[in-house]
Amino acid sequence: MIELKNLTKRYGKTLAVNNLNLSVARGEIYGFIGPNGAGKTTTIRIMGGVLAPTEGLVTIDGINMADDPEGVKRRIGFIPDRPFIYEKLTGMEFMRFSADLYGVDERVFRDKAEELLKKFAIFNWADELIESYSHGMKQRLIISSALLHDPTVIIVDEPMVGLDPAAIKMVKNMFRELSRGGMTIFMSTHTLAVAEDICDRIGVIHRGALIATGTTGDLKRDAGVEEADLEEVFLILTEGQQI
Amino acid sequence: MREILALLKPRLWSFKNGSYSRDAKNRKLKGLLFGTVGLLFWAGIFAIFYRVLVYFQGIEGFGDVLARKLMSMVLVTLFSLLIFSSIITSLTKLYLSKDLILVHSMPVSTAKIFLARWFESTIDSSWMVVVYMLPVFLSYGIVYKAGLFFYTMVGLSIIPLCLIASGISAVAVVLVAVILPAGRLRSFFIFLGFVLFLILLMAFRLMRPERLVNPDTFASLILYFKSLEAPGSPFLPTTWIFDGIQAALQGQVGSAVFDLILTWSFAVAAIFVITWISGATYFTGYSKAQTTAGRLFPARGRKKRERTYLLNHLSGAVRAFAVKEIKTFFRDQTQWPQIFLIIALIVIYLYNFSVLPLDKSPIKTVYLQNIFSFLNMGLATFVLTAVAARFVYPAVSMEGEAFWIVRSSPVRIRTLLWIKFCVYYAPLLILTEILIVVSNLLLHVTPFMMVLSVTTVFLMVPGIVSMGVGFGAAYPDFQSENPAQSVTSFGGLLFMILCAGFIATVIVLEAGPVYTVFMAGFRGGSLSTLQWMWLVVSFSLVLLLCILAVIVPMRWGERCLSRND
Repeated sequence: MIELKNLTKRYGKTLAVNNLNLSVARGEIYGFIGPNGAGKTTTIRIMGGVLAPTEGLVTIDGINMADDPEGVKRRIGFIPDRPFIYEKLTGMEFMRFSADLYGVDERVFRDKAEELLKKFAIFNWADELIESYSHGMKQRLIISSALLHDPTVIIVDEPMVGLDPAAIKMVKNMFRELSRGGMTIFMSTHTLAVAEDICDRIGVIHRGALIATGTTGDLKRDAGVEEADLEEVFLILTEGQQI
Repeated sequence: MREILALLKPRLWSFKNGSYSRDAKNRKLKGLLFGTVGLLFWAGIFAIFYRVLVYFQGIEGFGDVLARKLMSMVLVTLFSLLIFSSIITSLTKLYLSKDLILVHSMPVSTAKIFLARWFESTIDSSWMVVVYMLPVFLSYGIVYKAGLFFYTMVGLSIIPLCLIASGISAVAVVLVAVILPAGRLRSFFIFLGFVLFLILLMAFRLMRPERLVNPDTFASLILYFKSLEAPGSPFLPTTWIFDGIQAALQGQVGSAVFDLILTWSFAVAAIFVITWISGATYFTGYSKAQTTAGRLFPARGRKKRERTYLLNHLSGAVRAFAVKEIKTFFRDQTQWPQIFLIIALIVIYLYNFSVLPLDKSPIKTVYLQNIFSFLNMGLATFVLTAVAARFVYPAVSMEGEAFWIVRSSPVRIRTLLWIKFCVYYAPLLILTEILIVVSNLLLHVTPFMMVLSVTTVFLMVPGIVSMGVGFGAAYPDFQSENPAQSVTSFGGLLFMILCAGFIATVIVLEAGPVYTVFMAGFRGGSLSTLQWMWLVVSFSLVLLLCILAVIVPMRWGERCLSRND
């Protein structure tokens, strides 16, 4: 479903992502972890079509991002780490905006938007300007809008930042449910407990390169430990980089 | 003092570190361009004032009175500009800057935070006004052969003037912030500033200064000159500074120093008072401003909501961006005063044409009317460039940090740019055509000139709008706290220079053939084959230039924006 081939990104002389190769199967939840500045957000943004890679390919649902960016993006629900949205639109207007962009059928839009906004507990704020929303509310609105067009892939950068415990639990359950329905989820996170809890596989990125990937058990083997949680495994794998 | 200096250090270090930033290699080029344009303006101001003062010196009796009045007007204008500029800057520095949360979390007293921000605001709001006022005083110094004492006095007088203007503005902002509903601060002050500016502009224009060149009003002019000699209010800082500088110009050291001490003592006392007031009230206002703004006009019933139903027939992505563009534009209250300003400028522009004393000119009226009409094409498109610089150029930057939505959506950058083009094209075309048609009607021009100017402007508007969108896309600033100000950047300046070049080229290309056609009609003759060829080639070149002005900037902007990381 998701395939990254020799993905490389340079910002001037800085190498942010170094020859990354990765594939994620349909219906899989893939967690992407790594220290600060490891290249997680850059990789996520390239996958979302927000950044162009210096080299390499991103293929989603069999379509190459470079060949048909619009076609690929139509299949993706992209959720960034910081919820910057149009402050002068209302929540419902932002949902309509997203629906128009992604070609959501007019007949199903209203019901679906209301359902998502209710699910994320922001329906009562639907007619208020986004500038009056809190950080968490904006994050919930972005997640709602990303699901509006029934994407086949969700690409999400730090999904739990700014969410309250109830919303975190709801998002986790929803990701599991969507994954069971065949949706592929690629998420980067610093919350290792969340990654351990819901991800089928986890990749560890370090200095722009993928240094380990697999289930938690695979990562433990790579780290050479048997009885340890993901945090400990992560620290061993990225040793010397932690402050 | 140590804390205040520490609070100012990030700004100084950021400035110093500019040469290490990612766009450092463009800084030299930008510096050169800005420096050249700035120097030209500076030299232009000097040349104009020098010429005017030399002319005044030649008028027996009235010359010195006029020169004194001019300086008094310059000082009042300088003071007004400083107050206006300080209100906007101190509002941003004290209440809206992104780093305020961090600054207020530090173990520093409110009064010290205020002083550091106020000092920064004073420098930011004053430096440009002061730099462009220096050639005015330099011209006075040269024309009146003043010595070093005069220049020292000017330097020492301008500093307290800036401090006083900035202090008054900061106190006004701090006090209003305590009273006003949260989140309405920026809108209120911008609105207030523009309303005052409009009143001044309209009042000045409606006084009809062109009557001063009419000999019929000469009797009243003598009375007017007498009134010029009346001194300014003794309570105004500008009066003390004016008196001080005038005394320095005449070599009266004692009187000049007295006025200087008066000004400085007021400035120092003002700083003491504003620090005291701000220490007591600034934090209350700041806390209030952190509350999110309520809607100025509350949401109406859900069924009545969609006012943009006219756009419903558009395809999904186009409708999405068009609706978003229009709604965000009209809901941003900082845009409203500028719309009022444009309306006022149109009224003044057209009023100017209605009062042109063409019948008093020694040149034939028909000839003059058509010359004005032809030149008016250039003037109207310059006005359009200014409006486009304010609204069209920042259109891409206005996406701000939400630009990720565009990048991650299944919409091409090209589509986005063309939507922005269409949203601004229609109203700007209407605006420019109104200026052209109404001014032509007021001038009673020939049908040929009416058709020519309407058609030429119709061809030029897409080019200017396209340059605005294209340059805005090539030089976007998504991090700016106020994208509308992006026009003062390198890209904005480049946009205005190239627009001026485009307008001038079109006017020059058309001038020769139009003159030939006009004179042939005036004399009742017909055009020769060569003249016809000249006409066809010139107008074909204009058409080609207008087409290129649409295509090239849009493509270039698309390419640059697609590459933007």
